[in-house]
Amino acid sequence: MNDLFNKVKKNLIWKSVFRRDYRDNVRDRALAIFGNVFLHLHPVKVRESAVKLRYTWGMGGITFLAFIILTITGVVLMFYYHPTVDQAYSDMKDLEFQVPYGVITRNLHRWGAHFMVIVVMIHMFRVFMTGSYKAPRQFNWGIGVILLVLTFLLSFTGYLLPWDQLGFWAITVGTNMGAATPLLGYQGPFSEYLHITPYNDVRFALLGGAIVGGNALLRSYIWHCIAIPLIATILMVVHFWRVRKDGGISRPQNN
Amino acid sequence: MNPFIEIITQPDNIAIVIMILMVSFFMVWAFQQAFQNDKLKSAGYAVDGELDKDVDTFKPLVRIELLISLAVMLFLTVWSIVVDAPLEEIANPTLTPNPAKAPWYFLGLQELLVYFDPWLAGVVLPSLIVVGLIAIPYIDINPKGNGYYTFSERKYSILIFSFGFFVLWLLLIVIGVFDRGPGWLWYWPWQEWDIQRVVYEPTRDLSNLVGIESRSLPGFIIGAVVVGAYMIGGMIWPYKYWQKKNPEMLQQLGMTRYVTIVFLFITMMSVPIKMILRLVFLVKYVWITPWFNV
Amino acid sequence: MANENNNKSPYRAYLFVFFSVSLLILSAWVIWNDEFGLRPWKHYQKEYKSLKHDQLVNDYKKAQLEFHRSGGAKRLADLKAQLSKAEEALKSKGVGEKYTQLSNKLDELQKQASDNQKKLQTVRGKYLETEYFFTKTQKPEYKKQMDELQLQIDAIDKQGKELQAKQEPVSQSMSQLAGNIPAIKAEIEQLNKILEDKKEKIANNETAPIEIKQFLIKDIDKADRCVSCHVGIDSPKQPSTKQPYTKHPLMSVYLGHHDPGKFGCTFCHRGQGRATTTVEKAHGKAKYWDEPLLKGDMTQTSCLNCHGDIKNLRGAESITKNTELIRKYGCYSCHKIPGYEGMGDVGPELTQVGTKVNYTWAVDWLLDPKKYFSTARMPKFYFTQDQAEAIADYLFSMSGSERKDVDIAAVKNDPKLVEQGKVLWSQARCNLCHATGGRGGDHSKVYAPDLSKVGSKVNKTWLFNWIKDPNKYFPGTKMPRFRFTDQEISALVDYIANEYQDDEAESKYATPQTIQAESIKKGKDLVQQYGCYGCHKMRGMEMVQVAPSLKAQGVTFLRSDEMREKIGTELSSIGSKPLELLDFGKLKKSIPNDRLSYIKQKLRDPRGFRLGLRMPNFRLSEKEVNELSAVLYGFTDSNAPVRFMVPSRQELDKMAGVQGYKFTGDFAKVIADVKCTNCHTIKGIGADYAPDLTLAGSKLQESWIRNFLANPDMIRPLLQQMPKLGLSQAKNPVKVTMPKFNLGKQKVEDTNRSDVDVVVNYFQQELVTTDIPKNIPVIADVAMPEQIAQGKKLYDDKGCIACHQIGTDGGAVGPNLSNVGNRLLPGFIFKHLENSRKFKSDIVEPNYGFTERERVLLTNFLMTLKLSAK
Repeated sequence: MNDLFNKVKKNLIWKSVFRRDYRDNVRDRALAIFGNVFLHLHPVKVRESAVKLRYTWGMGGITFLAFIILTITGVVLMFYYHPTVDQAYSDMKDLEFQVPYGVITRNLHRWGAHFMVIVVMIHMFRVFMTGSYKAPRQFNWGIGVILLVLTFLLSFTGYLLPWDQLGFWAITVGTNMGAATPLLGYQGPFSEYLHITPYNDVRFALLGGAIVGGNALLRSYIWHCIAIPLIATILMVVHFWRVRKDGGISRPQNN
Repeated sequence: MNPFIEIITQPDNIAIVIMILMVSFFMVWAFQQAFQNDKLKSAGYAVDGELDKDVDTFKPLVRIELLISLAVMLFLTVWSIVVDAPLEEIANPTLTPNPAKAPWYFLGLQELLVYFDPWLAGVVLPSLIVVGLIAIPYIDINPKGNGYYTFSERKYSILIFSFGFFVLWLLLIVIGVFDRGPGWLWYWPWQEWDIQRVVYEPTRDLSNLVGIESRSLPGFIIGAVVVGAYMIGGMIWPYKYWQKKNPEMLQQLGMTRYVTIVFLFITMMSVPIKMILRLVFLVKYVWITPWFNV
Repeated sequence: MANENNNKSPYRAYLFVFFSVSLLILSAWVIWNDEFGLRPWKHYQKEYKSLKHDQLVNDYKKAQLEFHRSGGAKRLADLKAQLSKAEEALKSKGVGEKYTQLSNKLDELQKQASDNQKKLQTVRGKYLETEYFFTKTQKPEYKKQMDELQLQIDAIDKQGKELQAKQEPVSQSMSQLAGNIPAIKAEIEQLNKILEDKKEKIANNETAPIEIKQFLIKDIDKADRCVSCHVGIDSPKQPSTKQPYTKHPLMSVYLGHHDPGKFGCTFCHRGQGRATTTVEKAHGKAKYWDEPLLKGDMTQTSCLNCHGDIKNLRGAESITKNTELIRKYGCYSCHKIPGYEGMGDVGPELTQVGTKVNYTWAVDWLLDPKKYFSTARMPKFYFTQDQAEAIADYLFSMSGSERKDVDIAAVKNDPKLVEQGKVLWSQARCNLCHATGGRGGDHSKVYAPDLSKVGSKVNKTWLFNWIKDPNKYFPGTKMPRFRFTDQEISALVDYIANEYQDDEAESKYATPQTIQAESIKKGKDLVQQYGCYGCHKMRGMEMVQVAPSLKAQGVTFLRSDEMREKIGTELSSIGSKPLELLDFGKLKKSIPNDRLSYIKQKLRDPRGFRLGLRMPNFRLSEKEVNELSAVLYGFTDSNAPVRFMVPSRQELDKMAGVQGYKFTGDFAKVIADVKCTNCHTIKGIGADYAPDLTLAGSKLQESWIRNFLANPDMIRPLLQQMPKLGLSQAKNPVKVTMPKFNLGKQKVEDTNRSDVDVVVNYFQQELVTTDIPKNIPVIADVAMPEQIAQGKKLYDDKGCIACHQIGTDGGAVGPNLSNVGNRLLPGFIFKHLENSRKFKSDIVEPNYGFTERERVLLTNFLMTLKLSAK
């Protein structure tokens, strides 16, 4: 057994991938972190409280994990989906009945999305309860709030894509709010002074039309699959970066 | 089937049940830790984590991250196997479902539509929520409680935030999911929905309470006075109060912070106030103007 | 340092193992489930394959047996022996050697020829290339080159031809040598093929892939994967009668005319065509899928999607029969139904009803029509006694001011007149339409009321006026105006009043009682609320304003003649109405929440869903409920593409700008009076109860028409309706005779011509076709008596007697021909013998393919068959 291990570890390929052996000493533990592109997001050393589940609940990390799961399943779903009024619903049916692992992929995406919204709210609650928004982390809290809003918007834009009654009317109800924007929505206060009609107001801009239709579906699709994930990713990078630069996971000040 | 079980086992509502369970659990855990830390502090000990030393990231942190990831994936996989994501009938613009509900996380806002006009409930209030959240670190100048759970050192901020988060946001969502049926009427979860049910609830405007037509000039003036008094009074009264009680704090805050805090606070409190006005006194509008109604 | 404690952190490996193993197991389960759990069709296809395998093997064995039995095997052995013999011969006599030589030579020649061919092609290619590139430059060296090439080509050509010439004698001598070997080989191959084919089928079945099969139709957005499980739906030989392996019933009609590749399955059967994971989902019995599968006869409801005319449509028999119910109960009176506009009123006009019926009867009728006679079509409205009286008061107030009954005891009937009336009753065949005492009423499609108790319902004065001129009281009634004299009518009235009494009838208002104005108002409100005017015309109800008291109850529409707004829900798309729009009310938990159950329950108990519903109860039998719901289920706003549509004749005519046929002149008046079209079809108008008269003028002799109309009894046996052959479940033949209308006794209004003249004239002018010649060709070379004898011989030879009767001899399938010489025109017989289906598509008479001469002979013979009128 040990021979086999040694053989594998001495192998050229293994060496090229892992570069060096891991021996449990201080140097190697540090190297394991900053020698790894994924792990070097972490500092080499963290406070013990950051490791304790009762302090962070792991919520930020879980949110990130949910985002990754959603990205992967989302990409798979994109292969089988056309954002057109004629095909969207049939594609959903085919996903259920014909696509290999279609059902489980869609379920993971749907429930993962719900889960992410829940977790991101709890994350915010935790950060507030530990006062972690206080100096020097004020700016990162703001980024977090925007990421929370983006999470809602991601879920919201995804709602329409199956093109079923649930999504259609949820989006209709949701975007009708836009019509009530003061000044810029045609049902909102003061809009008549700007000559706002259903055809040039905020909602029209959101939907690409006066009602939820093919354009709205396409816009949802692009916001959901490209634009918001892109923005969210950039903000996440900033968020994580700032977590480290602001001194890692917050902790009681040593007096 | 029992309507209660039916409504909580609807695939999409299972997420809400999970949310309720998780949020309750973490709420209890957070406050339990907060009170524990308070006790420690008042007894003169260090709070939890204050004496922590540095540890290597590899492996303790990486290991726990891996474990949590596995647990989460296991949880999501089980969820996805047990519950199938629903796909309703194909979208039909001519057939409005009753009730037509927004996505669940916006149901709190939709619930506000009962009490406010859409421009307030759907646009102004959500925008203020976002702005208010971002503003929190800049208006909360209390230096204590940074990095650990505590309650006694940040009583007010925690109370206000908890009220907003648990009551005005989550509770309204739960109400919207489980207690709103056709016509946006109130149904207890164990009640059968009835499409034909009509509840006739005569509503009036505030000035009607004193017998003045709300759509007349006097009505307009009364409304304006009431709204103005709430806003201005809400600004001035705490100022006077603190001036007497705690002038240093006011000094520390400065005028800009003070106005922002109080404005956000009284806007937030206007929501429960309007709800009470509506539910108890059947008041629909406080102030009617030719452009908008409040 | 704390660093040294790292390895003693509290997180144990067992957690990691537990999570990993669980995830692994779950993943394995997901993979298994996706491969098998969610793909039940794999199992079905496998089973079908094995069933088909058994069937094919069976077939093969049978064919083998048959092959042996019929001597095929023996023949094969023979042939093989012959072949080996011939080959032996080829070898033994040295011929073989020569043969091999020759064939080697032939091979060589062929090889050379093909080489040359190749060379030729290359050279020609070069030549053409050169020509293409250099013609314009005309350089001499290229020209030279080209000439050379041309020479080469010619040489090769010549060589090839020579070779071919050489080849011919070689191959000829070869075939001589080989003798009949090729022929024998061919036959062996053929014999082998019989069995080989079967073997190949088995092999093909073996290698058939297991996969999702589907019909994909883009323009109606269908991907019907039904055939993934119903694998054998279009195979004419079903390997099993077990579902889902059966073949489609009546395949030639349904699949033959509706290629599944173009129509799919779910267009007619509904269900969820894309679903493959469970039977329930595929059959549409799933949440959020409102279209459950249609099975059996119920599927015929889908014919209504595209077919404008379902009458005489093969495969739509059941739905055609069912649609009759809409007409019977007049659903269109209260509900808007496309295709049923302007159908006329189901019930009689009620403006003068006070002069017709007894008050007590009217109230009883309103309370429960079926109590009066069980076949009553009027539904029960669940009126209280007060309400029924109020409505009766309102109705009576339109023609009087009193509640009154005729005192039955006081009515005296003249026994002599009663006797005479009885004869008239039977001559006029009243029982043909009206049932009395459970008998008669066979012509069920005119929906004539049961007259068993009519003596206690109506008064004699009204009855007299009614029989004298039914159109006057109820324009549009189906009751014919018999040409009775006043005296005859009195006799009939006395007979009816005497014979058809209700022994249990009370008359509470023998002494009249004045109607209260309040009650009238209440009655009018009720009439408005329940929409009595939907089925009954009522003067004063055409343009009424909605009473304020009713507006509060939600009544917003009343019938006006222009608008004809219907009181009930529009039914034009009830069969595809979204479930959300069907209010199950308090029955939500007790009946299945699907559209069909809703429709059936609505028909069974229209007001059962919640309080405040207004639809009356027609008290349909469960059978009628099923039939009617099948029709209603077919009223959809289907998104059928235009290419599926089969418009009705009427619609086609309308599109082409052809006016619908209308009777004209005096004949129209006769029709309006006598209602010929109650039983006969003329030019597509009318019922199919009696023979079609569209071509009567070309078919019937004038004298016969006159005789018949004057006395329909005379030729009674001829009009016996025969059961249509081939329907094994046919009932016993019903003897039907045409009623005696006494045509001819009275003149048609405003003219001096008698009814009969008008009818005959119209027949000869309008109901003719140029397809039928007036005269038949003459055979000059045979004398007339001789021709008749030859015709009779033909009649006997062809076995006409098997179906037709002359005198008392012969079968009873076709019409009796004893008097055919008096009845039919020779031209018609002549043409009929040529192609009987031309005039009546469902005729059973075989087509014998007579020559013209034979037809002339037969016609001449048949024209001699006459019964002398007594």
